[in-house]
Amino acid sequence: MSEGPLLSGGWLWLAFVLIAVATHLPRGSFIVAGRRARLPESLQRALRYAPAAALAALVFPDMLLLDGRLDPFNPKLVAGLAAFGVALRWRNPWLPFIVGMGVVWLGRL
Amino acid sequence: MTESFRMGAREGFRAFLPLSVGLIPWALVTGVAMRSTGLSVVEAVGMNLIVFAGTAQLGTLPLIGAGAPLWLIAVTALVLNLRFLIFSAALAPAFERVPLLQRMLSGYLLVDGVFAIGAERMLASEDRDWRMGFFLAPSAYAWVLWQVFVLCGVLGAGALPQDWSLEFMATIALITLLAPIARARPMMVAALVGGVATVLLADMPLKLGMIGGIMLGIAAGFAAERWQSRGPAR
Repeated sequence: MSEGPLLSGGWLWLAFVLIAVATHLPRGSFIVAGRRARLPESLQRALRYAPAAALAALVFPDMLLLDGRLDPFNPKLVAGLAAFGVALRWRNPWLPFIVGMGVVWLGRL
Repeated sequence: MTESFRMGAREGFRAFLPLSVGLIPWALVTGVAMRSTGLSVVEAVGMNLIVFAGTAQLGTLPLIGAGAPLWLIAVTALVLNLRFLIFSAALAPAFERVPLLQRMLSGYLLVDGVFAIGAERMLASEDRDWRMGFFLAPSAYAWVLWQVFVLCGVLGAGALPQDWSLEFMATIALITLLAPIARARPMMVAALVGGVATVLLADMPLKLGMIGGIMLGIAAGFAAERWQSRGPAR
């Protein structure tokens, strides 16, 4: 469907395996190792910020960059902010998608 | 299967049921996103079975689509999954004297929702069988639910029109994950700094700007926490 230098064949499956390893090592780590291993307190506290920073690092460019250039005035930024606000305010899991995609589509009219 | 395993299983399932509804749109979106990145049905199902991690899948798909280097894909997945290191460390005492194979299975099945509803009660229980039931039942249910609805997304994606910017649904899914986390002030700082820094560093080669942005975000969050707890005079 998309055009682009998509990884293909064996490389793609190798990427899946690497992502799986990067998922299941942290998940299994202490459960499998048992009580013998412990993480230093300060490292544990710093790591708590990894998901927030990583999620934002993925999301911000999608909303702010257009073809690699800064373009803050586009419907996707408005859509993203709207979805964020809705997700903060209501627990309904569908609403952010409905509102966010609605704004994107409105912006193209 | 002992009686206390069954009792734990029932209670774990009941505790997780309301939260599990939230998995459905997310699974559908993950299925659609894999197809619109260009994966075949077999590749999408394969990725979903071996990875089984919505955030890591949604987060690495843009990189896969752009043909990013493998190491960057792996590092991104690892960063997105670092929270599991903390969950795993927190849960470890509950898995004492559980056979190795069951511990490995539990590691594979560990997801955010079950940790969120279960960690406290599992650590409080003295009964090993009850704990395993309480963990494994909702975890297995989450796995089945996830696989079924991702498959619906994968198979349904072809029927969707291509010019509707549907790939933006993956971005929205990540935003809905970010929203509850970013409620705490230092987390908000980590997200803002991480996101803005990544945008500003976007011109760096090999998407190194993203790794740099994430590191700056973590550092900023950590600094904000210390600043908040020591605090200048208000």
